[in-house]
Amino acid sequence: MTLISALNIGKSALAVQQAALQVTGNNIANAGNADFTRQSAAISPTEDQQLGPGMFVGTGVNITGISRQIDNALNGRLNSSISDSQSATTQSEYLSRVEATFNELSDNDLSTRMSTFFNSWSNLANKPQDIGLRQVVLDNGGSVAGEVQSMRTALTSLQDDVNSRVTDLAGTANDLAQQVADLNGAITTAEGGGTGTANALRDQRDAAIKQLSQLMDVKVVDQGNGSVNLTIGSEPLVLGTTNRGITTKQDASSGRPVTELIIKADNGTIEINSGELGALTQVRGKIDNVIGQLDSLAKNLIFELNKVHGSGQGLDGFSDVTAENGVNDATAALNDPKTNLKFTPTNGSFVVHVKQKGSGLETSTLVKVDLDGQNNNDTTLNSLATSLDAVDGIGAKVVAGKLQITADNGDTTFNFSQDSSGTLASLGINTFFSGDSALNIAVNKSLQDDPSKLAASKNGEIGDNQTAIAIANLESAPVAALKGASLKDSYEAMVNGVAGDVATSKTNAEAASAIKDTLTAQREALSGVSLDEEAINLVKQQRAYQGAARFISAVDDMMKTLLAIT
Amino acid sequence: MSIIPIQLARVSNLLKSSVATGSIATTQASLLEVQNELSTGKQINSPSDDPGNAAIAQQLHKVLEQRDSYSTNLKNAQSQLGEVDSSLSDLNDLLQQAQTIASANVGSDVTADGRKAAAAVVQSLYNQALTIGNRDLNGVHLFAGDRQPDPPFVSVQGGVKFVGDDNILHNNTDDATQSAFMVDGNRVFGATSTRVQGSVNLDPTLAPNTRLTDLGGAGNDGIHLGGILIGNGTVSTSVDLSQADTIQDVIDQINKAAVGGITASFSADGKGIQLNGTGADQISVREVGGGSTASDLGLLTTTTNAAAVPVNGADLRPQLTLLTPVASLRGGTGIDLTSGITITNGGVTANIDLSGANTVEDILNKINGSKAGVVAKINAAGNGIDVVNPIQGPSLTIAENGGTTASDLGIRSFASDTPLSQLNGGKGVRTAASGADLQITRRDGTAFSVELTAAQTVQDVIVAINTADGGNGLTASFAATGNGIVLTDTTGGGGVLSAKDLNNSNSTADLGLNASVTGSTINGSDVNAVEANGIFANIGKLRDALQSNNIDAITASGVSIKQDQDRVIQIRGETGAQVQELEARASHLDDQNVATKSLLSSLEDTDFTTAITKFQTLQQALQANYLTASKVMNQSLMDFLT
Repeated sequence: MTLISALNIGKSALAVQQAALQVTGNNIANAGNADFTRQSAAISPTEDQQLGPGMFVGTGVNITGISRQIDNALNGRLNSSISDSQSATTQSEYLSRVEATFNELSDNDLSTRMSTFFNSWSNLANKPQDIGLRQVVLDNGGSVAGEVQSMRTALTSLQDDVNSRVTDLAGTANDLAQQVADLNGAITTAEGGGTGTANALRDQRDAAIKQLSQLMDVKVVDQGNGSVNLTIGSEPLVLGTTNRGITTKQDASSGRPVTELIIKADNGTIEINSGELGALTQVRGKIDNVIGQLDSLAKNLIFELNKVHGSGQGLDGFSDVTAENGVNDATAALNDPKTNLKFTPTNGSFVVHVKQKGSGLETSTLVKVDLDGQNNNDTTLNSLATSLDAVDGIGAKVVAGKLQITADNGDTTFNFSQDSSGTLASLGINTFFSGDSALNIAVNKSLQDDPSKLAASKNGEIGDNQTAIAIANLESAPVAALKGASLKDSYEAMVNGVAGDVATSKTNAEAASAIKDTLTAQREALSGVSLDEEAINLVKQQRAYQGAARFISAVDDMMKTLLAIT
Repeated sequence: MSIIPIQLARVSNLLKSSVATGSIATTQASLLEVQNELSTGKQINSPSDDPGNAAIAQQLHKVLEQRDSYSTNLKNAQSQLGEVDSSLSDLNDLLQQAQTIASANVGSDVTADGRKAAAAVVQSLYNQALTIGNRDLNGVHLFAGDRQPDPPFVSVQGGVKFVGDDNILHNNTDDATQSAFMVDGNRVFGATSTRVQGSVNLDPTLAPNTRLTDLGGAGNDGIHLGGILIGNGTVSTSVDLSQADTIQDVIDQINKAAVGGITASFSADGKGIQLNGTGADQISVREVGGGSTASDLGLLTTTTNAAAVPVNGADLRPQLTLLTPVASLRGGTGIDLTSGITITNGGVTANIDLSGANTVEDILNKINGSKAGVVAKINAAGNGIDVVNPIQGPSLTIAENGGTTASDLGIRSFASDTPLSQLNGGKGVRTAASGADLQITRRDGTAFSVELTAAQTVQDVIVAINTADGGNGLTASFAATGNGIVLTDTTGGGGVLSAKDLNNSNSTADLGLNASVTGSTINGSDVNAVEANGIFANIGKLRDALQSNNIDAITASGVSIKQDQDRVIQIRGETGAQVQELEARASHLDDQNVATKSLLSSLEDTDFTTAITKFQTLQQALQANYLTASKVMNQSLMDFLT
């Protein structure tokens, strides 16, 4: 044991305390950095020196490592909770926007407009011949159609928002995956297969993975060599230093453009269940569903109302009428998909009334719409035109796939009634609404041009109101195509469905946020920087350093004493 | 901000700051919510705030909106019927005046000039009645039914024509309740008495295109479409008839199912469906599920038939519609289309040729389009034809034109089966108090007497005459052309055929046998012309009677006017009851609205006490958050180290 050895002890102590102080300083410097993991220096005594048999003396101190205070399992759970929380928040946000398009419980929501519309039919029944009341019905019909269309537009543009958000986030996710791949390389190089850890790089990688978790439910697999692999479901995203890449493709197979996420390397589709991207995919499905319900509501509203209206009569008969809806194949049975009719007629019949203007006498003819699939004589548009053409006083032909009926001369007009087949509504003859979905529902232009054509009567009398009442009662009447629900029920179910989804998503968001907060607190408890703790470390290391310096000074004095002997 | 676990080993600075940030943010969000609740006055601002209650609120809103409509309709009906009530009151006053005038002018002290002066007053009443009949409220004619917008009563030569309709309008005044807001002008002004009601059930058979909706069905409750289960003892097949529209569709579907050798066809009487089997088919027809299609179609079998025994479906009661083919009328016998009918309305006689008519509508059109000016339509029961004379004033007769057309259609106004009591405007035939009523002298100079006491119908009279004649050359029959009893003498004598009353009876005139003689035939006149009664006709008659100084006629019209008045009073009473019912309904609706609005308010509206308390609590929580954050964040060991 020599004084030189003692000096070395002091030297080691100074070096170690300096290094420890640096670790403390670094911790303090990163106290506000949420991605930082608290580090601590591991100090251990150097190997003892044997002074004699059974006698060992210490030789100083050494730093054995500077490590991150981290629990990787906890971190994994935290990342997963971040995905879930972000997913729930995003869903809640977008579904609230869906709910906002309904504007329900206000005075100008669709439900109020529908009531006003159907009530205006009831009011028309008080004075069916009144042009003013007819105009009110048309205006209110326009208001319903306009609102349905604008809701549809709002929902579609919300979907467009979702699609463009997916595209943006796919870019961000790809950048983050690239960062992880790059950091994998940097970490393996820095750590060089040794035992040390490149703490800052690992913190950076953890931060990138955390950000990625906000976007999707990514699974982290430690490779043991310093690098990690990332997978989404069963599809690998990052393999060591290779980022397989995330990109998007457009899919229009469902009839509406959908931006889908794929792996750039092999175009493999990826299924994301959580994170913002997962939420967007799910929200898009829900919006799709709502659009489908709105379309179905509009379609049923159009068809059911037109069926009743088609069998009713306005103040004057028609001198000519052209069907709104054409067929692709006039030789196909009217219920054959080849016709491409949006509303399918059924086996039945309707009555055509031809009226002599002078005498007011009517001749009625039953027109059979045979769609029973038997005897090879099912009604086609051509055969329907032939049947109608055979009716005295009117002529009918098919022009460009559309049925055209014309009175033979200026002395006759014609009307329709008792359509049990839905053919008139299907072809768009004597209809109230035109269009076939929420996208294109509108009040028939010919009615807007001539409100006297609005059908309030059922028996042909100008003052009759039976069709008006039948339409007024339609809102609450069961509709077979809606499985017995009424138009009103169907709309309420749609609104309540969305309201329930929004409420659930809000609750989910709160629950997911609670889990995330708990796990964050646990992570902070282990990995977060406490300035108080660091202040104590600081004092401790400062004092140790002072002590070591004092020790060196004492050894120095001893050496001076020895040297002074000569 | 959620509650974090407190058993943490360490508390980092970041945790302290994030807990503070989180709790401040959460409290502020809750405050905003309460602020919104307080400022809007609503605790549910969008359905997701409380989906359960929002759904109920939404339904209640709908109910209130619906009731708004009922309320509007009730107000309309109240004002319309109120106007009707006041019109009926005016009409009643007017009829009272007419009656008073009639009573005042039957006395012997009134001069002819005095009656003429009164006639002028009655003419003014006549005009007033016309004005009342054409009253409207906001453009809706009170008595025009669904035939708007023209006034329902127009003056035509010889009387007043009703051009309105007896279909009166109804509207929704509650869930599944409709109330009338008009009264039948036809009934008020008494046009119904000018109606020739079809006496024959035209009893159509089924045609292939007969629609199922036009069938009464075996149970007279329509046809409820669904499936039926047909078996032949070996196999059973469900036949779906839900898409069937016509009776032919039903037959086609059953035949398509081809259960064993079972085939469907029209039954022999043409009123139902018949199922025939071949060989060993033991036919059974059952319902599918809880349906009633098989029984509605009259095919339901309670037991399985023995082999090859057909199922003869019940009468499906086809309704008479405009589209019913003429050939299917009267159980498939059709009607005599070749002869046509003769309608005389006032001074106008029209021979109506029905040849070429294929459907009931064709027949109606031919009658309606004739110059007779009558309205023919299917009766309310849907089994016969009514002919209405819309003009009050002239009288109407409908007669044969050499065939049986009018009788076939059941619209002959005077026929051999007409009860004697109906003749002469309901006065009947005034027979002798005792003994024979009628003596007929044949051309050969022989005579015989006839007693009519037991006769009930015109046919009875004909039989009585023929029996009394005893085959001695005189034959009584009913006219094949025109209406009346025809006496034909075949004795070949040179005298004059004649009929005269016996024992103070008035039967020759009352039976129309006082007509002039043509050779050996007396063509009796029509003594059952349908009298055109009604308010206008009766006031008109009073006026004319006063004008012509005819006291008997004044008395008679006074009596008729009294009947009119009674009817008007009765309708006014009914209208009053209707108005009362509407008022009760309106008041009930108001009560319901109060209850619904109160329920809605409890669901939707802010409970201010709770909300303000919550607001204050949150405010304090926020202050506490601020305080805690500032204290916790500002404490550091660093401050104590020197």
